[in-house]
Amino acid sequence: MENIYLAKTVKIIKIEEQSPTVKLFRLAQGFSFNPGQFFLLGKIGFGEAPFGVLSSPYENDYIEFAVRATGTVTNFLHTLKEGDEIEIRGPFGNGFPLDFIENKDIVMVSGGSGIPPIASLTEYIIKNREKFKNVYLLYGSKTEEEILLKYRFEKWKEGGIKVMTIAGGFVTDLIKDIDVDEQNAVCLMCGPGPMTEAIEKVIRPLGISDRRIFVSLERRMQCGTGKCQHCTTGDKYVCLDGPVFYYDEIDKNHD
Amino acid sequence: MRHEFDSRIPHMLVIKKQNIENFLEKLKKKFEVFDARDNKLPFKQYFLPAEERIFPVPKPPKKFVVFGLDTFDLEALTQLDEIMSKPKEDFYYWQRRKQALVIGIEKDMQKLVKEYGEFFSAEGGSASGGEEVSEWQKSMRQLLLDSELLADAVEWSRDHKIWEELAEKCLGCGICTYVCPLCYCFSIEDSVGLDDKCSRCRKWDACTLPGFAKIAGGHDFRPTLKERYYNWFYHKFVRAYQEYGKSQCVGCERCKNQCPAKIDILDILKIILEDYGKYLSSQNS
Repeated sequence: MENIYLAKTVKIIKIEEQSPTVKLFRLAQGFSFNPGQFFLLGKIGFGEAPFGVLSSPYENDYIEFAVRATGTVTNFLHTLKEGDEIEIRGPFGNGFPLDFIENKDIVMVSGGSGIPPIASLTEYIIKNREKFKNVYLLYGSKTEEEILLKYRFEKWKEGGIKVMTIAGGFVTDLIKDIDVDEQNAVCLMCGPGPMTEAIEKVIRPLGISDRRIFVSLERRMQCGTGKCQHCTTGDKYVCLDGPVFYYDEIDKNHD
Repeated sequence: MRHEFDSRIPHMLVIKKQNIENFLEKLKKKFEVFDARDNKLPFKQYFLPAEERIFPVPKPPKKFVVFGLDTFDLEALTQLDEIMSKPKEDFYYWQRRKQALVIGIEKDMQKLVKEYGEFFSAEGGSASGGEEVSEWQKSMRQLLLDSELLADAVEWSRDHKIWEELAEKCLGCGICTYVCPLCYCFSIEDSVGLDDKCSRCRKWDACTLPGFAKIAGGHDFRPTLKERYYNWFYHKFVRAYQEYGKSQCVGCERCKNQCPAKIDILDILKIILEDYGKYLSSQNS
């Protein structure tokens, strides 16, 4: 019987400071995953926490995550140095619907530290650029300082992604800079609460229906296998059925 | 005990009531025996303990016996086995479960013969007896027969005033979930000992407790007791039905009997069902 709670020990080969509270960790092993899937990272004695993958799914030699120091596990991870080891298990969940979004206009929306899965998806899209029409990345944050991965924007732009950063909130005004076929456009998003603001002020006005909006949810995944009950929303398990959902699948849930 | 010791295959043994203690004595000579009769905490504690170390990974226990599950508990065990098998086997549950010989008690011989007659031959059993089932349990079982209706009604009841009232009454202590044979939610907690040895434990958790749905950074998806109490019902009657086709309640009455605030889930379900019925007829008229 496989022990589903058993993690792999992997060496950290690179740590980059992204902002005063966020560090990027590069681990010395490639994994097979879909953009939008998550892994549980941690260390026995300190706990585990879920993180969406930041690096490209085509990267065979390493995998990257961004960690914001907010709790026991993340604060512990921030004390680690290059060469230290951490434990990883996964991937979990479904990831973004890569087949469904083909041959469509893409609007990716992210906020603050919700960028990792969107960054991974961006890398996937660049690698398969001919399969997609117009591709936008709208990245919002409260302050300029909280915009992560800025140094990668040039590469993304060269790869055919229109990157727009928005400080201070999403406004209806953004619509005029986005050219999508409303019948054939999808929105993929990951980020904190203000994402609903983006839906109301930008995505719906663009004509993208709720059925074509995909959101990646954040919950306190502990077991990763739909048992512990910490990550439920309505009748769904974020760890199994998500973390990516059609917006109209989850927007009426009580939790 | 002529069969091979395999916890997953049900076997039947018919003995007279007065021989039970004798039978247990014999078992105790060979195995550790846990007596689940009249236990406030249900049998789940033997397979999913209130607290267990999961790292470093413990060795499987020696073969042991859990004796005395009644028909409610046997139904719950069947469900719990299914829950702990899908989509993947829960390693720690099955590490214990596979080592256990579970002996249930069915006092109703007629029912046994009717349901399992082909699987065993009764030696000297009497067809009298019958099970001691309370009126409450009978009513609850009646409701549980239509788990689809319960799912629809509880889902509909989200904005019902009863959840507000229950939030006033409920102490949020979690006892109902600990005594429920089918509440299995847990949390995983790590610790570092004075000797620098690290360990990871799995502990019973309760979805009615504060912070159950809290994430890093502090956002809580169910900050009020009202939401958490509704979620308890929602899981048992709605999400469980969607996942497994039945309610995660067997009508054992433990939650009602042990609740310090005297909350009675049968009363709650009756109120919801009645109002849901009224709602449906108002929709039709």
